Amino acid sequence: MDPFATLGLPRRYDVDPGELDRRYRELQKALHPDRYTGAGASERRMSLSKAVEVNEAYRVLRDDVKRAEALLALLGPAPGGERETVSSEFLMEAMELREALADAKHARDLSQVQRLAARAEALWAETRRQLAAVFSSLAQSAAPAEVACARALVNQLKYHQRLLDEVSLIREEAEAS
Amino acid sequence: MAYSKEVIEHYEQPRNVGTLDKEDPTVGTGLVGAPACGDVMRLQIKVNPETNVVEDAKFKTFGCGSAIASSSLVTEWVKGKTIDEALTLKNSQIVEELNLPPVKIHCSVLAEDAIKSAIADFRKKQAERNGERKAENAAPAAQPSQGGK
Ligand code: FES
Repeated sequence: MDPFATLGLPRRYDVDPGELDRRYRELQKALHPDRYTGAGASERRMSLSKAVEVNEAYRVLRDDVKRAEALLALLGPAPGGERETVSSEFLMEAMELREALADAKHARDLSQVQRLAARAEALWAETRRQLAAVFSSLAQSAAPAEVACARALVNQLKYHQRLLDEVSLIREEAEAS
Repeated sequence: MAYSKEVIEHYEQPRNVGTLDKEDPTVGTGLVGAPACGDVMRLQIKVNPETNVVEDAKFKTFGCGSAIASSSLVTEWVKGKTIDEALTLKNSQIVEELNLPPVKIHCSVLAEDAIKSAIADFRKKQAERNGERKAENAAPAAQPSQGGK
């Protein structure tokens, strides 16, 4: 499935969020079951499955990691499958950050959580920026080295994302208690 | 998703959580990540260099319940085994023991990769040490020629 085609948007990493929302709402309205009350069973079924597809495409394109993965999938299967593409230095830093965050959580040190969150956000934003640059040059020509580079960056983005998810969890818990 | 009783057991009471000194020449450290989800795992073994038997194993895993259970299980399994025996460990054994569903297979792969890389790290350290020893033994022979300068 090509989520870009489903929503009628150009295949590129930088999507305009406003445009994305607008396309989504239009299609949702057009496919709404109320509009198919007088239609035949098969037509109703088709509109329903199309609506499911639209929802799924929207969910993918809204998400910075999933959208990147969708673009990569359209470029072809990954050569190494699900293999690791990040360096051991990168992993070491990821591990250190997760450990520091777990310690801060344990010690209920919210200002340390705050500092780590800022660091994670900065890493995330930097990787996101690099990824956007690689994708825009990939739009010109899909050189294998650049595709590999994009894969590695998406991979990194997932580690940063995971750290940020953890930060939100800790914040929610702190607010709840 | 419902976890199996085996996973819950290891998850609630993980064995061998902790850290070994990674500078210790008899300690091998394996650090791996799961690209599928962005989780990380560190698994360490302390090996007797004479017998190559794993004397202690520790892990720290930031991941889902299955990943924690997998690393807990692996550390239990490798203790008392030689590193050659430990190398034969397959993630399919972990999957079987913990009753992992297909979506959680990558979590057990993480544990297999971690033990393999810990063993590789230990071997590398030992090889470096042996290399140094050889160099030390060779040193006296080199002295006379230096004295000739
Ligand atoms: S989901 Fe990340 S290790 Fe299991």
